[in-house]
Amino acid sequence: MIWKTIKVGFHRLGSPPNFYRLCQRFSPWLWGGFFLCAAVGLYQALYVVPPDYQQGDSFRILYVHVPAAWQAMAGYVVMAILAFIALVWRIRIAEIMAMMGAPIGAAFSVICLATGSIWGRPMWGTWWAWDARLTSMLVLLFIYLGIMGLYSAFEDKRKGARIACILILVGLVNIPIIHFSVEWWTTLHQGSTIRFFGESTMHYSMMPPLVWMTIAVKFLFAAALLDRSRNEILDQDRRRRWVLEHAGVNR
Amino acid sequence: MIPEFDYAPYVWSCYGLFAIIVAWQIVQPMIQHRRLQAEIREERALTAGEYDDANP
Amino acid sequence: MSAAMLALLVRDLRLAIRHGGQSLMPILFLFAVLILIPLGVGPGPNLLASIAPGMIWVAALLASLLALEGLFRPDLEDGSLEQWWLGHGPAGALVVVRLFSHWLITGLPVILVAPLAAQMLYLPAPALGTLMLSLLLGTPILSLVGGLAAALTLGTNRGSVLLSILVFPMVVPVLIFATGAVDLAADGLSPQAHLGLLAALLILAVTLAPVATTAALRLNIE
Repeated sequence: MIWKTIKVGFHRLGSPPNFYRLCQRFSPWLWGGFFLCAAVGLYQALYVVPPDYQQGDSFRILYVHVPAAWQAMAGYVVMAILAFIALVWRIRIAEIMAMMGAPIGAAFSVICLATGSIWGRPMWGTWWAWDARLTSMLVLLFIYLGIMGLYSAFEDKRKGARIACILILVGLVNIPIIHFSVEWWTTLHQGSTIRFFGESTMHYSMMPPLVWMTIAVKFLFAAALLDRSRNEILDQDRRRRWVLEHAGVNR
Repeated sequence: MIPEFDYAPYVWSCYGLFAIIVAWQIVQPMIQHRRLQAEIREERALTAGEYDDANP
Repeated sequence: MSAAMLALLVRDLRLAIRHGGQSLMPILFLFAVLILIPLGVGPGPNLLASIAPGMIWVAALLASLLALEGLFRPDLEDGSLEQWWLGHGPAGALVVVRLFSHWLITGLPVILVAPLAAQMLYLPAPALGTLMLSLLLGTPILSLVGGLAAALTLGTNRGSVLLSILVFPMVVPVLIFATGAVDLAADGLSPQAHLGLLAALLILAVTLAPVATTAALRLNIE
């Protein structure tokens, strides 16, 4: 079945030297994909798309803000899948990749929060509003930081990774609840929530850059995940034999 | 191309911030990789290339 | 309830009574926070009444964090935590007992002193019942979530700061629904929807948190 395929696949690439080489081989392609999609997306976002009739040019912030927000959430789902694999089948590569997703996810949350705040200044007149989406993104950032803090607090990295994997899965249950409760809270306290898009839906001419940028940040996440995992496994296995043969230490 | 000057600083600062954080995602692993390789090389030199497959 | 569970419950409660002063610390802390609030924002009854639900709940939350550090650590250090897995019954049952006794020692007293706290901050009288009900539904969640965080950070040596950071995102919904309920009751509206959601959170926490807590403890003693 599908689980078996995943399991076998992970075991096959699960040997550190294999995984290390795989990261080395794929990372440049993923970065290439990112730069290509981002170049198209940024060109369209800044030069091709006409200004919005309500928000003028400030809506162009959307093309970094929204993909970052989506990736901060999608990244968490990826981490949760890896954490599940790590806990059920005790696969070391999955543990490491789940842990290395956290700093990247946190970086995307920071992009989302900072651009949201900069966008809020001309639109709402304040740098920060207790908008439901911004607030739950802030909580998500703290969850990411908690995962990173928990992992780094353990001497034994494998133990730390497993325990942080439990936290990731607990967070997976929690995040939708937090999101829902914060939405409930803002509607209760603010009367009507401030919306980015007003009542109108997006015009189709505004869509292509958003699609390009969304794909671009997916490439970015994957590339950064491989780069970081490669380093982490090298760090943990620094005294093992394969490192001597594969990590270019002798060169 | 950003004709309304009012919004330009906000838009550009957002894209600038995005560029900085993306650059950090590329550069940080590279720096770390260099540092790790140097550390491992140094450790190997000190221990004459001994390895320990039992206790990583 | 098996003999081992009963024995653990009796032992925990007896220890709490013997160290009476220590067990009262969360309550004293709660009042310390509640005394600082009027000193900070001014003694105006209207302002205090409007922020009372949130402040009492935040104080209860901070008080519940205090006792978490000692929830499993002494048992880990004297080796009795490992015994939980060596006995006849499932370890999860003992985890539940420990969390329950923690709630009896830290959560229940907060509910009992809530009327006094409500008076100090001029909470409107009709909201008092809702406040106590929200604490009754909410403090067990604080114990369960706090216990999970304590179990996760058990193997680290700088647990307490990390513990607070882990607890904070998980209790956001509790705080929102509990204070929402009390706010509504203070305005003379029905808090039923909020209390219902709080009860749903409690059920979810009771079913899931002990499982995760047991798994985390297990990994920590491996």
